[in-house]
Amino acid sequence: MKMTNKALLPLLAVSAVAGLTGCKEDAKPEAAEATKVTLEQGHEYMVVSNRPSQMHVIDLESEALIKSCDVPGDFGPGTLQIAPDHVTAYMLTDHYEKIYAVNLDSCDVVFSADMSQAPDERAKTLYSMALSPDGKELYTIQTPTKLYADHYEAMEPRLAVYDTASGKDAKPVRTFEVPRQISVMQVADDGTLYMAGADIYKMDVTSGKVDVAIPSRNWERPLYAPPDVLNVWPIQTPQNEFTILYSTAKFTDETYDMNTATWLWGYFNVDLETGETETRDFAEFTEIYFTGMRSPADPNIMFGVLNHLAKYDIKEQKLVKSADLEHSYYTVAMNHAGSKVYLGGTFNDVAVYDAETLEKTNDIPLPGGDISPSTAQVFIR
Amino acid sequence: MNNKLLKPLGLGLLTALSVASQSAVAEGDAVSIINDKCVACHAKESDTSWSRISHMRKTPEGWLGTIGRMQVMHGLEISSEERATVMKYLADTQGLAPSETEGYRYALEQRMNTHEEFESGLFTEMCARCHSGARVKLQHRPESEWMHLANFHIGQYPTIEYHALARDRDWWPIVKEQMVPMLGKQQPLESTAWSEWLKAGDEAVVGSWSVAGHMPAKGDLHAVMTVTEKEGDDMYAVALEGAFADGTPLTGEGSAIVYTGYEWRASIKVGDETMRQVFAVQDGTMTGRMYSADDDSRGMDITAAVESGKARVLAVQPAYIKAGTETELTIVGANLSGEPSLGKGVAVVKVLKSSDNLIKVLAKAGKAEGVNTVAVGTTSGAELAVYSSVAAVKVVPEFAVARVGGNGGSTAPVEARFDAEAWAAGKDGKAGTDDDFRIGFMPASWTAKAFDEQAAADEDLKYAGTLSDNGVFSPAGAGPNPDRKMSTNNAGHLTVVGTVTDGDSSVEAEAELIVTVQRWNTPPIP
Ligand code: HEC
Ligand code: HEC
Repeated sequence: MKMTNKALLPLLAVSAVAGLTGCKEDAKPEAAEATKVTLEQGHEYMVVSNRPSQMHVIDLESEALIKSCDVPGDFGPGTLQIAPDHVTAYMLTDHYEKIYAVNLDSCDVVFSADMSQAPDERAKTLYSMALSPDGKELYTIQTPTKLYADHYEAMEPRLAVYDTASGKDAKPVRTFEVPRQISVMQVADDGTLYMAGADIYKMDVTSGKVDVAIPSRNWERPLYAPPDVLNVWPIQTPQNEFTILYSTAKFTDETYDMNTATWLWGYFNVDLETGETETRDFAEFTEIYFTGMRSPADPNIMFGVLNHLAKYDIKEQKLVKSADLEHSYYTVAMNHAGSKVYLGGTFNDVAVYDAETLEKTNDIPLPGGDISPSTAQVFIR
Repeated sequence: MNNKLLKPLGLGLLTALSVASQSAVAEGDAVSIINDKCVACHAKESDTSWSRISHMRKTPEGWLGTIGRMQVMHGLEISSEERATVMKYLADTQGLAPSETEGYRYALEQRMNTHEEFESGLFTEMCARCHSGARVKLQHRPESEWMHLANFHIGQYPTIEYHALARDRDWWPIVKEQMVPMLGKQQPLESTAWSEWLKAGDEAVVGSWSVAGHMPAKGDLHAVMTVTEKEGDDMYAVALEGAFADGTPLTGEGSAIVYTGYEWRASIKVGDETMRQVFAVQDGTMTGRMYSADDDSRGMDITAAVESGKARVLAVQPAYIKAGTETELTIVGANLSGEPSLGKGVAVVKVLKSSDNLIKVLAKAGKAEGVNTVAVGTTSGAELAVYSSVAAVKVVPEFAVARVGGNGGSTAPVEARFDAEAWAAGKDGKAGTDDDFRIGFMPASWTAKAFDEQAAADEDLKYAGTLSDNGVFSPAGAGPNPDRKMSTNNAGHLTVVGTVTDGDSSVEAEAELIVTVQRWNTPPIP
């Protein structure tokens, strides 16, 4: 889809730009691949979800689809998290209102939770889903609306903690108040929950205490405009980092003249092993990327994707290479070796690129329809 | 991303405004339908009052949108006749006064290229980015009801606070603490304009109306519209007979309904095309827009005056004459009597034709430039520009959106239509200064080019559609185009150039044209 970045559109041109995805017909998948295939120890895989409502496992060595598991519910958004055991995958779906966990060996649904906690409540989770390092707890942020007969009441969001062993129709074991506008989250090795919202927050999941880990909307960087952050893809990286792209404007002086400002891309990063944080510009803003990821092989290399696959040298703040794409892809993922870049999201294929040359080496079609805003996750069993 | 969350109404609601589905109904019917259909969710407060329903005022289109939402989102089951009855009743008893719609009628008239500007930048960013700001301005309700509306928004569209222009601020606190109190103050339920209007009584519409108008990229028109009573509550039969300046007939028949005592909505079949009329009736005049039901960009600006009323001059066509030349001019009006006069320095050489509503003259302009007032007898009205040369041109609209369509899809393409508006330099001889005066829409020649490097690289000019000699851009077919890079659709970004030739010189101007995807959702108010 060709998009126009016009700041001021006339009446209603706006609504055309508001829907980000091109919706393709939901095709019924071809006879699902053998569902009983089990995953092999030490082998590298990707799990990805798409319409009508499936999770697919791709063997990243053969780059072949090895199995597909059905997931209950009306698909959407399909956001995925692979559990630390690398056996179970969690999917947010059913109009953002339910989470299902599927055992990727058996395709059995082993856990489910309704985000709503009362009959007169409708709660949605906006991409906020993460697992504790031991896989025993699932964290979600639920934004409830109270439904009265003739009006609605918006409630404050809550962080709901689930015991992943509770099976189907699980109920939260703890809930905490959290700020509004949080989207994606990741958990550090020490159990701290990092949440991307107005700022990047960190939460103690036992006490519910929230602190700012990285100021974002409230950053104090002289001559910088507040950053814009669009993040609905909770990408789990091989190097165990939580990376969030931002765009911003840097002014030349205190007149804050937009005309002479430089538009920049940057990233916030939380090292989930050490808790170390970073805020860093990495390039001039020349086009939109929906997601970005640092290479597991070389932390100085950043990949960004939407209408191109772009590769940046962070230190030099330089575009190294850019590849044309056959269609837009929302999400980037990489193998643990850092040699391959996988593009997903949007339609129903995963494209494979060589991380060095940015040549396209493969295209893995998926049965079924659009991946839409779902996030592919790469893991080693 | 939020396709799922922003479900279109999908009821073809605008059709419901025209009258086909309307039957003879009385107020009592509406009350019993509401008691029957709405009280499952809306508590009855008195014989004619229900929770939520009775605590706001809006336009007919506003009411239609709300009831449509009750059907789509809350499972209300109601026939289109019943819906029309309820809508008529609510628009009549809880409508807006004419003055309360002033300045925002462009939205009712489906003028999609209107560039909205509001005093409050915050309002524009908070409430006019998904739909028009006019949709908001055309509602009156107390603060508590604005609060309910705000809660509906965030409850129904939870991504609302994550969008651009929302994720940079504390969106929900700003809505609750700033927008809701502001709206409650600026657009309260009770107003003197409304209570006065209720006392004033309905406008009369039966009779013969003299109509003047203009259609972009087509030209001026005049017609006579005859309105007769029809069975039903404020329902009328309409016959239109007229023509464009180029001779194309504008003739058809249809029916109309009047809401709120002055909101004229008609549906008229002109040739193969169904045209909608959205007019405000006021004191023996109608003003508004008539547009194609299939493509709302194909529309004309209309003013009309009733022939049984006051004498009125509506228009002079064309509205300009070159100094030192002779040309034919048509004065359109109602109850015209007496000598036509074209102002200082412009002589009526000969009256070629004269009737109550139309006077055709041969006019001769002297050397003097300026804007004259046209009069017939003691009645004056339209303006006639006398110019010696065209100093500048503006393309109208300066920014337009066309939409791909057809190609097997269910949505027709939406055109963009351009006019070249000529300006004279005025006394100082310099264009762009305060004493410039508008000459009017002049014939022009038209070309298109790529808007920028990106558009040139993507060959937008080749794929996005075609621009006709008279300034009509017809977009290409919908869907992905395998010939294009990334198989993208036929969207494009173009510059449209209009050139007016004036004697030996020519003056040109540019407009920006965005060709984009279909509008899937056509709500009653954009
Ligand atoms: C099945 C339940 C249901 C039925 C039946 C129903 N409504 Fe509603 N109505 C709601 C709910 C829920 C809301 C609040 C959410 C919203 O605004 O959509 C609402 C809101 C409204 C509002 C306020 C909208 C605004 O602009 O803030 C109006 C007016 C309204 N309804 C009119 C009607 C009318 C008229 C009918 C009958 C023809 C009707 N409703 C039937 C459930 C219903
Ligand atoms: C995310 C996009 C979005 C934003 C931002 C938004 N609206 Fe809306 N609004 C909608 C949609 C969608 C509807 C249509 C609901 C329906 O189908 O009836 C709507 C409907 C309305 C209506 C008509 C409701 C009725 O039933 O008559 C009003 C009035 C309105 N909005 C006011 C506002 C105000 C005030 C704000 C700012 C606080 C605002 N909107 C911001 C999306 C938006």
